[in-house]
Amino acid sequence: MVLTSHFIALGLYALTTVLVLAPFAGLRSAPRSLLLGVPIAGIAAHLLGVARLTPFMGVAPTLSMLALFLALFQVASEAAFRASAVGVFTGPLATGLIGLALLIGLVPDARLVAGRSPWSILHITVSILGLAMLALAFIAAALYLLQFRELKAKRFGQVFRLFPPLERLDQLNHLSLVVGFPTVTLGVLLGFGVRYAGGVSVDAAQVVWGMLMWLVLGWAVGVRVVRHWAGRRAAFASIASFAAVLLVYLALKLTTPGTERFL
Amino acid sequence: MSITVLGVNHRTAPLDVRERFAHTTGEVPQALERVLAAGARGGVLLSTCNRTEFYLAEPDDTVPEAVWALLSERLGAGRSASAYGYVQRDRDAVRHLYRVSAGLDSMILGEPQIQGQVRDAWDASRPLAGPVLHRLFQSALLVGARVRSETGLATGAASAPSAAVTVAGKIFTQLAGRSALILGAGDIAELAATCLVSEGVRVTLVANRTYERARAIAEELGARALTLDEAWEHFGDCDIVLSSTAAPHAVVTWDRVAAAIGRRGGRPLCILDLAVPRDVEPAVAQLENVFLYDLDDLQAVAAHAAAERRNDIPAAERIVTEEVERFWGWYGGLVVVPVLREFRERMEAVRAAELERTLRRLTHLSPEDRDQIEYFSQALLNKFLHQPTVVLKEAARAGRGYGLLDALKRLFGLERRDGT
Repeated sequence: MVLTSHFIALGLYALTTVLVLAPFAGLRSAPRSLLLGVPIAGIAAHLLGVARLTPFMGVAPTLSMLALFLALFQVASEAAFRASAVGVFTGPLATGLIGLALLIGLVPDARLVAGRSPWSILHITVSILGLAMLALAFIAAALYLLQFRELKAKRFGQVFRLFPPLERLDQLNHLSLVVGFPTVTLGVLLGFGVRYAGGVSVDAAQVVWGMLMWLVLGWAVGVRVVRHWAGRRAAFASIASFAAVLLVYLALKLTTPGTERFL
Repeated sequence: MSITVLGVNHRTAPLDVRERFAHTTGEVPQALERVLAAGARGGVLLSTCNRTEFYLAEPDDTVPEAVWALLSERLGAGRSASAYGYVQRDRDAVRHLYRVSAGLDSMILGEPQIQGQVRDAWDASRPLAGPVLHRLFQSALLVGARVRSETGLATGAASAPSAAVTVAGKIFTQLAGRSALILGAGDIAELAATCLVSEGVRVTLVANRTYERARAIAEELGARALTLDEAWEHFGDCDIVLSSTAAPHAVVTWDRVAAAIGRRGGRPLCILDLAVPRDVEPAVAQLENVFLYDLDDLQAVAAHAAAERRNDIPAAERIVTEEVERFWGWYGGLVVVPVLREFRERMEAVRAAELERTLRRLTHLSPEDRDQIEYFSQALLNKFLHQPTVVLKEAARAGRGYGLLDALKRLFGLERRDGT
């Protein structure tokens, strides 16, 4: 059931990606009902699969969860912001992540599941949700910069035609950041709680770098909310902060491997 | 019975000729009455800046002359309007109107205004249109709507003013409620301003070198009038600047815009320079969050959209052909029904007369026998008429009924009675 649901979701996410990318290849744009309906069907199948995974521990379930949130945000972006171009990034990402999860093997790791409290599961879920929101902010910022460049360069091709207006992308970036950052913060706080309750042992370097990255993300949100940065500057800040998080995450994974460590 | 269209359009006549042929809504009934008096059962006059066309139901042979005479009077100087005109009949006339309504015959392919103009023409001509043209125009509007919804013929901005709206729409989430400043009072700026206003943009300020001209345009658009020197500070407030002055050099300079841009707090400013020569220094585009587009840029957007629309022409033509056949089927049926009724009545009269004469001679028959003979005659007539009726109706549905109908009229002498 878990595998079947995931394979159905994989197929539907892949189809969504094709539908989103088709107009960039010069084909006719898919109707909006399809751009919403296909990923929603994929999400429904994916939810069925993820529900059977509980408690979702280990790399594969985490990737599956991240793919699910990305697909959800893609649908939300299209429904609320008419930003189907978000799917240019989220479509392949969600498809790739769920594919990778299937390759790794979607069986909860017995070693990790043992001894995990509901708080630990909540910490992981909230952290992945926050990460997905920050990814959405990053995507909106990237789309903003691409559209900005086309508008400034007076190029009226596919990007100009198919990407949403600049202001809408700026709003999407703003919303994702101001909701994503508190979510990540909550995830971090839950992580501290779990750690000090003796649930997991975490390397000191991870804590320090994690805090530093939290500050970087906080800066990106701060310049938007407090200093009212908007447009290109805010997009750069958003991209820089998310890139920093990814780089540090990868560096930590390489230096201190451990499947249970998120930040 | 027939449908004919006579007229001129942007392909057959230059602008100065088309201007003379243009009829206001108030002039339509008078012009139509005059043409219909020459012998037609209904008429609709479609008059836009790109075409003047008379659609006529069952016109006599003298009607084209009446139309050309009417238009030639407007041309003056002894010139003949027929030199600029065209005539299309029956299926071709129906196809022509459907193509017009779909925007396939427009100067800007797929432009949406023509749909409203066809509706207005129908409304203005309604008392004189007659049932056939009434149905024809009703179906033409449906064909236009179908082409626009089922193909990409109406997507994108295919003219410079509508491209201005498209470009602004790629900067701002929604145009409704945005404020616009108009510099100059050129026709293109006024047209582009009208396009923006139709999207909900508020034209708040109109600035011109001469204050009086600015005030005249401002009053039309419900805005405040300014001189050009007063306008620069407002670059800090408005969202869209539309410039079309007659100045021989750039009047919107980097210094003037940069001074005001700092007060915008990062909000984007869209400047649409529709003047030739350009009003805005190209260096203005280097300012952060300032998006500058001149007429060439907007025409590039329009050309791009027009090229994309051309891909949809085959699909649109297919819909038109399908709908022409549908209409012609209806119209053919309309023609067949009265002739068939006449034919059956004639045959029935012959049957009844012959039956009466025969029964008068056969007085010895019982009432039952007389009924049997009457039943026999009725059945025989029905059998005889069944096949021709079916064949004629089928031919009419397929749009091939006219030859058979003509033969029927000639063979059974129906022409003399219906007067055709």
